[in-house]
Amino acid sequence: MISLGHVLVLTVFLFAAGLIGALTRRSAITVFLSVELMLNSVNLLLLGLGRHLGQVEGALFAFFVMAVSAAEAAVGVAIVVAFIRRQGTTSIDAANLMKW
Amino acid sequence: MLSATVFFGLALVAFVGALVLVFHRNPMVAAVGMAVAMVGLGVLYMILHVPFLGLFLIIVYAGAVMVIVLYVIMALGLEEQGPPVGAVQTVLTFAAALLFIFHVYRLTRGAAPGPFPKVEPVFGSIQQFGHLLVSQYAVPFEVASVLLVGAMIGAIVLSRRDWT
Repeated sequence: MISLGHVLVLTVFLFAAGLIGALTRRSAITVFLSVELMLNSVNLLLLGLGRHLGQVEGALFAFFVMAVSAAEAAVGVAIVVAFIRRQGTTSIDAANLMKW
Repeated sequence: MLSATVFFGLALVAFVGALVLVFHRNPMVAAVGMAVAMVGLGVLYMILHVPFLGLFLIIVYAGAVMVIVLYVIMALGLEEQGPPVGAVQTVLTFAAALLFIFHVYRLTRGAAPGPFPKVEPVFGSIQQFGHLLVSQYAVPFEVASVLLVGAMIGAIVLSRRDWT
Protein backbone atom coordinates (compact mmCIF):
# COMPACT_ATOMS: atom_id res chain seq x y z
CA MET A 1 0.00 0.00 0.00
CA ILE A 2 1.50 3.28 -1.04
CA SER A 3 0.91 6.52 0.83
CA LEU A 4 1.52 10.22 0.40
CA GLY A 5 4.97 9.73 1.93
CA HIS A 6 6.13 7.58 -1.00
CA VAL A 7 4.97 10.20 -3.49
CA LEU A 8 6.61 13.00 -1.50
CA VAL A 9 9.98 11.22 -1.41
CA LEU A 10 9.96 10.63 -5.17
CA THR A 11 8.88 14.25 -5.77
CA VAL A 12 11.68 15.65 -3.64
CA PHE A 13 14.37 13.54 -5.32
CA LEU A 14 13.14 14.33 -8.84
CA PHE A 15 13.02 18.04 -7.97
CA ALA A 16 16.54 17.91 -6.54
CA ALA A 17 17.81 16.15 -9.68
CA GLY A 18 16.17 18.82 -11.85
CA LEU A 19 17.67 21.55 -9.70
CA ILE A 20 21.16 20.10 -10.09
CA GLY A 21 20.65 19.81 -13.84
CA ALA A 22 19.38 23.37 -14.19
CA LEU A 23 22.30 24.84 -12.25
CA THR A 24 25.32 22.76 -13.29
CA ARG A 25 24.79 22.16 -17.02
CA ARG A 26 25.85 24.53 -19.75
CA SER A 27 23.81 23.24 -22.66
CA ALA A 28 20.68 25.39 -23.01
CA ILE A 29 18.61 22.37 -24.07
CA THR A 30 19.61 20.34 -21.01
CA VAL A 31 18.81 23.26 -18.70
CA PHE A 32 15.43 23.58 -20.38
CA LEU A 33 14.68 19.86 -19.95
CA SER A 34 15.77 20.00 -16.30
CA VAL A 35 13.29 22.80 -15.63
CA GLU A 36 10.58 20.65 -17.24
CA LEU A 37 11.57 17.82 -14.92
CA MET A 38 11.18 20.04 -11.84
CA LEU A 39 7.79 21.16 -13.09
CA ASN A 40 6.60 17.58 -13.52
CA SER A 41 7.84 16.51 -10.11
CA VAL A 42 5.65 19.19 -8.53
CA ASN A 43 2.78 18.00 -10.69
CA LEU A 44 3.21 14.53 -9.22
CA LEU A 45 2.94 15.99 -5.71
CA LEU A 46 -0.26 17.82 -6.67
CA LEU A 47 -1.74 14.52 -7.85
CA GLY A 48 -0.63 12.72 -4.71
CA LEU A 49 -2.10 15.39 -2.42
CA GLY A 50 -5.39 15.35 -4.29
CA ARG A 51 -5.49 11.58 -4.03
CA HIS A 52 -4.65 11.75 -0.32
CA LEU A 53 -7.44 14.23 0.41
CA GLY A 54 -9.87 12.42 -1.86
CA GLN A 55 -10.43 15.57 -3.94
CA VAL A 56 -10.11 15.67 -7.70
CA GLU A 57 -9.04 19.33 -7.67
CA GLY A 58 -5.41 18.30 -7.25
CA ALA A 59 -5.45 16.37 -10.51
CA LEU A 60 -7.40 19.19 -12.15
CA PHE A 61 -4.78 21.72 -11.10
CA ALA A 62 -2.08 19.40 -12.43
CA PHE A 63 -4.00 19.40 -15.72
CA PHE A 64 -3.84 23.20 -15.91
CA VAL A 65 -0.16 23.18 -14.98
CA MET A 66 0.42 20.75 -17.85
CA ALA A 67 -1.40 23.04 -20.29
CA VAL A 68 0.71 26.00 -19.19
CA SER A 69 3.91 23.96 -19.36
CA ALA A 70 3.05 22.87 -22.92
CA ALA A 71 2.80 26.56 -23.86
CA GLU A 72 6.05 27.21 -22.01
CA ALA A 73 7.76 24.35 -23.86
CA ALA A 74 6.77 25.77 -27.26
CA VAL A 75 7.97 29.29 -26.44
CA GLY A 76 11.03 28.00 -24.58
CA VAL A 77 12.25 25.93 -27.52
CA ALA A 78 11.66 28.90 -29.84
CA ILE A 79 13.74 31.10 -27.54
CA VAL A 80 16.52 28.50 -27.42
CA VAL A 81 16.53 28.26 -31.24
CA ALA A 82 16.64 32.04 -31.63
CA PHE A 83 19.40 32.27 -29.05
CA ILE A 84 21.51 29.57 -30.72
CA ARG A 85 21.05 31.20 -34.12
CA ARG A 86 22.10 34.58 -32.78
CA GLN A 87 25.02 33.50 -30.62
CA GLY A 88 26.21 30.50 -32.58
CA THR A 89 26.62 28.46 -29.41
CA THR A 90 24.40 26.43 -27.08
CA SER A 91 26.31 27.47 -23.98
CA ILE A 92 24.11 29.52 -21.67
CA ASP A 93 27.21 31.44 -20.61
CA ALA A 94 26.82 33.33 -23.88
CA ALA A 95 23.58 34.82 -22.51
CA ASN A 96 25.31 37.74 -20.84
CA LEU A 97 23.75 40.67 -22.70
CA MET A 98 21.90 41.93 -19.62
CA LYS A 99 24.59 40.89 -17.17
CA TRP A 100 26.06 43.75 -15.21
CA MET B 1 -4.91 -1.24 -4.63
CA LEU B 2 -1.51 -1.73 -6.11
CA SER B 3 1.39 -2.87 -4.03
CA ALA B 4 4.37 -0.76 -3.11
CA THR B 5 6.57 -2.92 -5.38
CA VAL B 6 4.96 -1.49 -8.51
CA PHE B 7 5.40 2.02 -7.15
CA PHE B 8 9.08 1.45 -6.39
CA GLY B 9 9.69 -0.01 -9.84
CA LEU B 10 8.09 2.97 -11.55
CA ALA B 11 9.81 5.43 -9.24
CA LEU B 12 13.13 3.79 -10.11
CA VAL B 13 12.41 4.10 -13.84
CA ALA B 14 11.49 7.79 -13.45
CA PHE B 15 14.50 8.55 -11.27
CA VAL B 16 17.00 6.76 -13.52
CA GLY B 17 15.57 8.64 -16.51
CA ALA B 18 15.95 11.88 -14.58
CA LEU B 19 19.58 11.06 -13.72
CA VAL B 20 20.36 10.29 -17.37
CA LEU B 21 18.74 13.59 -18.34
CA VAL B 22 20.75 15.56 -15.79
CA PHE B 23 24.18 13.95 -16.06
CA HIS B 24 24.61 12.77 -19.65
CA ARG B 25 26.70 15.10 -21.79
CA ASN B 26 25.08 14.16 -25.09
CA PRO B 27 21.80 16.15 -25.35
CA MET B 28 20.26 13.46 -27.53
CA VAL B 29 20.70 10.84 -24.80
CA ALA B 30 19.50 13.36 -22.22
CA ALA B 31 16.29 13.88 -24.22
CA VAL B 32 15.73 10.12 -24.37
CA GLY B 33 16.27 9.96 -20.59
CA MET B 34 13.58 12.63 -20.25
CA ALA B 35 11.21 10.49 -22.34
CA VAL B 36 11.88 7.46 -20.12
CA ALA B 37 11.26 9.53 -16.99
CA MET B 38 8.01 10.87 -18.43
CA VAL B 39 6.73 7.38 -19.31
CA GLY B 40 7.51 6.24 -15.75
CA LEU B 41 5.74 9.29 -14.30
CA GLY B 42 2.77 8.78 -16.61
CA VAL B 43 2.24 5.20 -15.42
CA LEU B 44 2.59 6.50 -11.85
CA TYR B 45 -0.24 8.96 -12.56
CA MET B 46 -2.30 5.98 -13.70
CA ILE B 47 -1.81 4.07 -10.45
CA LEU B 48 -2.66 7.29 -8.59
CA HIS B 49 -6.15 6.86 -10.02
CA VAL B 50 -5.94 9.52 -12.74
CA PRO B 51 -5.32 7.34 -15.83
CA PHE B 52 -6.38 9.97 -18.35
CA LEU B 53 -3.85 12.46 -17.02
CA GLY B 54 -1.10 9.84 -17.23
CA LEU B 55 -1.86 9.24 -20.90
CA PHE B 56 -1.93 13.02 -21.38
CA LEU B 57 1.52 13.31 -19.82
CA ILE B 58 3.00 10.57 -22.02
CA ILE B 59 1.47 12.06 -25.18
CA VAL B 60 2.49 15.64 -24.41
CA TYR B 61 5.97 15.06 -22.99
CA ALA B 62 7.26 11.74 -24.33
CA GLY B 63 5.53 12.66 -27.60
CA ALA B 64 5.20 16.34 -28.46
CA VAL B 65 7.86 18.08 -26.38
CA MET B 66 10.38 15.32 -27.05
CA VAL B 67 9.85 15.52 -30.82
CA ILE B 68 10.37 19.30 -30.77
CA VAL B 69 13.53 18.99 -28.71
CA LEU B 70 14.93 16.18 -30.86
CA TYR B 71 14.21 18.23 -33.99
CA VAL B 72 16.11 21.17 -32.53
CA ILE B 73 19.04 18.96 -31.53
CA MET B 74 19.21 17.29 -34.94
CA ALA B 75 18.70 20.50 -36.93
CA LEU B 76 21.27 22.56 -35.03
CA GLY B 77 23.70 19.80 -34.09
CA LEU B 78 23.95 20.64 -30.42
CA GLU B 79 27.02 19.30 -28.72
CA GLU B 80 27.90 20.32 -25.22
CA GLN B 81 30.47 23.05 -25.67
CA GLY B 82 33.01 24.53 -23.38
CA PRO B 83 34.34 23.21 -20.09
CA PRO B 84 31.95 22.07 -17.35
CA VAL B 85 30.96 24.64 -14.75
CA GLY B 86 33.43 25.38 -12.03
CA ALA B 87 33.94 23.12 -9.02
CA VAL B 88 32.67 25.77 -6.61
CA GLN B 89 29.38 26.12 -8.45
CA THR B 90 28.95 22.35 -8.64
CA VAL B 91 29.59 21.86 -4.94
CA LEU B 92 27.24 24.72 -4.02
CA THR B 93 24.51 23.30 -6.24
CA PHE B 94 24.76 19.85 -4.70
CA ALA B 95 24.76 21.44 -1.25
CA ALA B 96 21.59 23.37 -2.13
CA ALA B 97 19.91 20.18 -3.37
CA LEU B 98 20.86 18.28 -0.20
CA LEU B 99 19.68 21.19 1.94
CA PHE B 100 16.36 21.14 0.09
CA ILE B 101 15.91 17.39 0.70
CA PHE B 102 16.90 17.81 4.35
CA HIS B 103 14.44 20.66 4.91
CA VAL B 104 11.55 18.75 3.40
CA TYR B 105 12.49 15.82 5.63
CA ARG B 106 12.64 18.12 8.66
CA LEU B 107 9.26 19.70 7.90
CA THR B 108 7.46 16.41 7.32
CA ARG B 109 9.18 14.36 10.02
CA GLY B 110 6.75 12.71 12.40
CA ALA B 111 3.79 13.12 10.07
CA ALA B 112 3.01 9.60 8.90
CA PRO B 113 0.12 9.75 6.46
CA GLY B 114 -1.83 6.55 6.16
CA PRO B 115 -2.19 4.72 2.87
CA PHE B 116 -4.28 6.44 0.23
CA PRO B 117 -8.02 6.21 1.06
CA LYS B 118 -10.35 4.27 -1.14
CA VAL B 119 -12.21 6.45 -3.63
CA GLU B 120 -15.28 5.80 -5.70
CA PRO B 121 -14.58 4.56 -9.25
CA VAL B 122 -15.64 7.88 -10.77
CA PHE B 123 -12.70 9.66 -9.07
CA GLY B 124 -10.30 11.02 -11.66
CA SER B 125 -12.31 9.69 -14.58
CA ILE B 126 -12.46 11.62 -17.82
CA GLN B 127 -16.21 12.15 -17.29
CA GLN B 128 -15.61 13.88 -13.98
CA PHE B 129 -12.87 16.02 -15.53
CA GLY B 130 -15.11 16.99 -18.42
CA HIS B 131 -17.97 17.99 -16.16
CA LEU B 132 -15.73 20.11 -13.95
CA LEU B 133 -14.01 21.76 -16.92
CA VAL B 134 -17.26 23.01 -18.47
CA SER B 135 -19.01 23.95 -15.22
CA GLN B 136 -17.00 24.98 -12.20
CA TYR B 137 -13.65 25.58 -13.93
CA ALA B 138 -14.87 26.88 -17.29
CA VAL B 139 -13.09 30.24 -16.99
CA PRO B 140 -9.60 28.82 -16.23
CA PHE B 141 -10.13 26.35 -19.06
CA GLU B 142 -10.84 29.16 -21.53
CA VAL B 143 -7.91 31.19 -20.21
CA ALA B 144 -5.67 28.17 -20.80
CA SER B 145 -6.86 27.89 -24.38
CA VAL B 146 -6.19 31.60 -25.00
CA LEU B 147 -2.74 31.14 -23.45
CA LEU B 148 -2.00 28.23 -25.79
CA VAL B 149 -2.96 30.29 -28.85
CA GLY B 150 -0.80 33.16 -27.59
CA ALA B 151 2.13 30.81 -27.02
CA MET B 152 1.75 29.39 -30.53
CA ILE B 153 1.85 32.87 -32.09
CA GLY B 154 4.78 33.81 -29.86
CA ALA B 155 6.74 30.72 -30.90
CA ILE B 156 6.19 31.53 -34.59
CA VAL B 157 7.27 35.13 -34.10
CA LEU B 158 10.40 34.07 -32.19
CA SER B 159 11.35 31.56 -34.88
CA ARG B 160 11.23 34.04 -37.76
CA ARG B 161 14.68 34.34 -39.18
CA ASP B 162 14.54 38.03 -40.04
CA TRP B 163 13.32 39.11 -36.62
CA THR B 164 15.99 37.65 -34.39
